[in-house]
Amino acid sequence: MNATVRNLLYVVYGLVFGLTLSRSGAADFNYIQKMFLFEDFQLYGILASAVTTAGVGLWLVKRYGRTITGEPVQIKGKTVHVGNLVGGALFGAGWAVTGMCPGPIMVNIGEGKIYALAAFAGVLVGTWIFGYFYFPLQKRLGLPSVFPAADAGAGKGKSAAVSGGGGC
Amino acid sequence: MELPFGTMPLILNDLQPWHWAVSGGLLGLIAVLLMFTLNTQFGLSTTFVDFCALGSRLPFFDRPAVRRTWRLWFAGGLVGGAVLSAVLGGGWAPTWDLGLFDSQIGYGALGKTAWMFGGGLLIGLGVRIAGGCTSGHGIMGLATLQWASVRAVLSFMVAGILMANLLYRVIY
Repeated sequence: MNATVRNLLYVVYGLVFGLTLSRSGAADFNYIQKMFLFEDFQLYGILASAVTTAGVGLWLVKRYGRTITGEPVQIKGKTVHVGNLVGGALFGAGWAVTGMCPGPIMVNIGEGKIYALAAFAGVLVGTWIFGYFYFPLQKRLGLPSVFPAADAGAGKGKSAAVSGGGGC
Repeated sequence: MELPFGTMPLILNDLQPWHWAVSGGLLGLIAVLLMFTLNTQFGLSTTFVDFCALGSRLPFFDRPAVRRTWRLWFAGGLVGGAVLSAVLGGGWAPTWDLGLFDSQIGYGALGKTAWMFGGGLLIGLGVRIAGGCTSGHGIMGLATLQWASVRAVLSFMVAGILMANLLYRVIY
């Protein structure tokens, strides 16, 4: 599959995903709050059916072992660390405050919700802050390294550069 | 006792939401198709790392794994799908409408901007520390039975429940 076809497919999948998020309630401020307040179970139903569908489908894909173009399928495991809990708690608080998780922020922008642009900017800055403090955070919380090959040598050098207050 | 599902119209043009099983099924299907057709592991929070990588030279952002990847194409699709949703569902118009927030908290445009920026900061920092969000941990991670994802999902659900209850049942 050439790059143009791949990118086109990503856009098409994004379109379907965005349309579904928009019309399901998963990108709706009220539905998010009522999920957390246990007043409407729409989003619990959505999460359960999404996990079930993906679970069965991915199990079949893994069993088949290859993609449609014959590449071997690899699903990387998620690393267990204390950050799952600490970061999860920060994210959950932010999700309730904004009524949006990362995908729905982009969906709300598309729908014309002006305030979603502020949430978008907030997530960008939050992500940047993480990037700025990546090396100390990674060490303190035991996060997986994003520099697997260069870990031993270059990683340390970069770490020193960052704590010295390098670029942005 | 019957649990309430889809009991209210969406903020977007007062549309009635799709059935939860259809919605969730479609979301899960996209995660499967990404894997089966494009060998791509689904997750949306890293999209923001891609966006930062467009402008930042910090080592964390200066990596091929987040340099102009598929995520930007998918994000374009997300925004396009949402525009389509509005256009097909009664018309697209910019709005500040925020449902429950307007009726219970009631801040204006400036207040909403600050509120959303603050919440966004928590999300941006939180998802990176947690290693994923509702899609990477919630859908992909739970579907492939990752213990890390069970921990992250429990943590963000509990925090969300506490925060929403604090905001709408205690403070406001």
